[in-house]
Amino acid sequence: MKKLTVLFVVIAFSTHALFAGGPWLKPKGKGYYKLSEWWTVFDQHYTDTGLLDPNVTTGIFNTSLYAEHGIHKRLNLLVNATLFSRNYMNNVRSRTTDELIIPGEALNSVGDIDLGVKYGLSKPGSKIPISATLILGIPTGTPAGGTQNNLQTGDGEFNQILQIDAGSGFQLGKTSAYLSAYAGINNRTKGFSEEFRYGLEFGLGLLKNKLWISSKLNAIESFKNGFTAETVTSTSVFANNAEFTSLAFETNVFISKNFGVSANAAGAFRGEIIAAAPSYSVGVFYDLK
Amino acid sequence: MKALKLSVGFVSILWLQACISDDYIDDNIEPVLQIVSNIDTLEINTSFQIEYQYFNNIGQSETVEVIWTSTDPDIIDIDAAGLATAFQLGSAAIKAETTVDGVESSDVLNIAVGAFTTFEEEPAIIEGSIVTTSSYELEGDFTYESTADGVRLAFKENYEASTALPGLYVYLSNNNNSIANAFEIGKVETFSGVHDYEIPNVSLSDYSYIVYYCKPFNVKVGEGAF
Repeated sequence: MKKLTVLFVVIAFSTHALFAGGPWLKPKGKGYYKLSEWWTVFDQHYTDTGLLDPNVTTGIFNTSLYAEHGIHKRLNLLVNATLFSRNYMNNVRSRTTDELIIPGEALNSVGDIDLGVKYGLSKPGSKIPISATLILGIPTGTPAGGTQNNLQTGDGEFNQILQIDAGSGFQLGKTSAYLSAYAGINNRTKGFSEEFRYGLEFGLGLLKNKLWISSKLNAIESFKNGFTAETVTSTSVFANNAEFTSLAFETNVFISKNFGVSANAAGAFRGEIIAAAPSYSVGVFYDLK
Repeated sequence: MKALKLSVGFVSILWLQACISDDYIDDNIEPVLQIVSNIDTLEINTSFQIEYQYFNNIGQSETVEVIWTSTDPDIIDIDAAGLATAFQLGSAAIKAETTVDGVESSDVLNIAVGAFTTFEEEPAIIEGSIVTTSSYELEGDFTYESTADGVRLAFKENYEASTALPGLYVYLSNNNNSIANAFEIGKVETFSGVHDYEIPNVSLSDYSYIVYYCKPFNVKVGEGAF
C-alpha cells in the first residue's frame, strides 16, 4: 500500500546522518554500506481525517541494501535497493463460526530501488556542511498484487526527490554530538501527489564514539494535488495523499573499526492515510573510512 | 562475519512473524424469523401456505423447524407445515416461532377471513439513511424500491463519501457487520450527490442492510438499514 511505501522510504533513508544520509559526504573512494531488515505490522491506520481506524492486520518486511560511495570529494553516489519485500494481510474469520470470510494473501518480490547523487554545496571540512541530493525512485517493485490488487512491494511510479541537508558536529563537554536537518521536494508521477519532506536529527557519540545514539523527527506533507478515488478507477493509486510526522530512535554500535550493527524504532504520532504502528529495523553496516 | 551471521539469524526469526494468521470480526447478530407472506385476508373455507425466512446469528438464510400457532383455531387453523385454513369469518393472529441454539425468534401475522383472498400491498418505496461507522466521511439518504426485474437503490443529493479510500464497495447484506454471503453491488464510483444502482434478481425483502466496505483495508466503512 502506498502509505507503507512512503514510510519505508523515510526509514530506509534515515541511516545515521553522521555516517550517511545526512549532509556529510564520504571522501572519494570511501563509503558506507548497510544491509538491513525493516518491518512493520499494523492493524490500524490514520484516516484522511487524522483519526485512527482499524484495518486487517497487515505486515511488510523489507530486506534492503543501502550504499553511499564517494566518487569525488564533493560527490557521492547513493543506492537504496529493496532486495526482497514481503507484504501480507491476515485471514478474516467470523468470531461466531470461525468461517473464513476473506482469505489472507501475501506478495513477495523485489521492492523499489532508489538511485541518487549527493553533492557537497559547502567546501569539504566546512563547519556546517550543506549538501544537495537528487534521488530517483525506480519502480522495480510490484504496485498491485493479490486478488484485490491491494498488496504492494512498490508504488509503481517514478519519483524524483530533491533534498537539501545541513548539519554540524560539535562537542557537548567530552561527548561528541551532531545536529542535522533536511528539507526536500518529492515530485511524483502517475497521479500521486507531490510531497514536502523535512526532518531533524540529533545524535550523541558515546564510549569513545563506538556507540552512537540518535533521535530523529521526520515528516511528509502532501500537496494533495494528485488523483483520488473519485478521479481514477484504477486501484493502483492506493491511499494517495499520505502524510505524517514520526519520531525515531536509533542505535549504532561499532564492533570493529569498520563494522557495526544498528537498530531503529520509529512511529508516526500524527498522520493521514498511513499505518499507525511502530516500525523497526536492524542491520549491519560497513563504514569504509 | 560474526555480526553478519547474527543478523542473518535474527532476520530468519523475524520472517517467522511474517506468516499469515487470523483476524476475527464480531459478526454475531440477533437471529431473525419473519413471515414473508403478505396475505391480508383469507377466503373462507380455503387454505394458504404461509412462508417464512430465517436469518441465523451471522445473517445467513437457513431452514429451521418452525412452530406455527393460531390465536383462534376456530377462525383460522394452521398445521405444522404452515398451511393456514379459514373456517369462519373473523380474524386471527398467526405466530411463527423457533428456537435455535437456545435463542428464540418469532413473528406474527394478523389475517382476516373474508369472501376473497387479498394481499397487503408491499411498500412502494423504502426510505433510509447511510451513516459512517468509521472515520471516513459517508452519509446520505436513499430510497429502495422494486423494479420490473429487481430493485433500485437511489441516493439523494445529500450523499457524500470520502474519496480517500481507493477500494470502497457497496453491498446488500443481512449482517451489518460482515460481507460474508452479502450481495456485492459494485465499486463506488460516485462520491457526491444523486446516483442510483439498478440491481436485477433481488427483491425488497432479501436483504436488511446496505454495507460500505473498503476492500484494500478489509474493513467496514458505513452502513444503512432498510
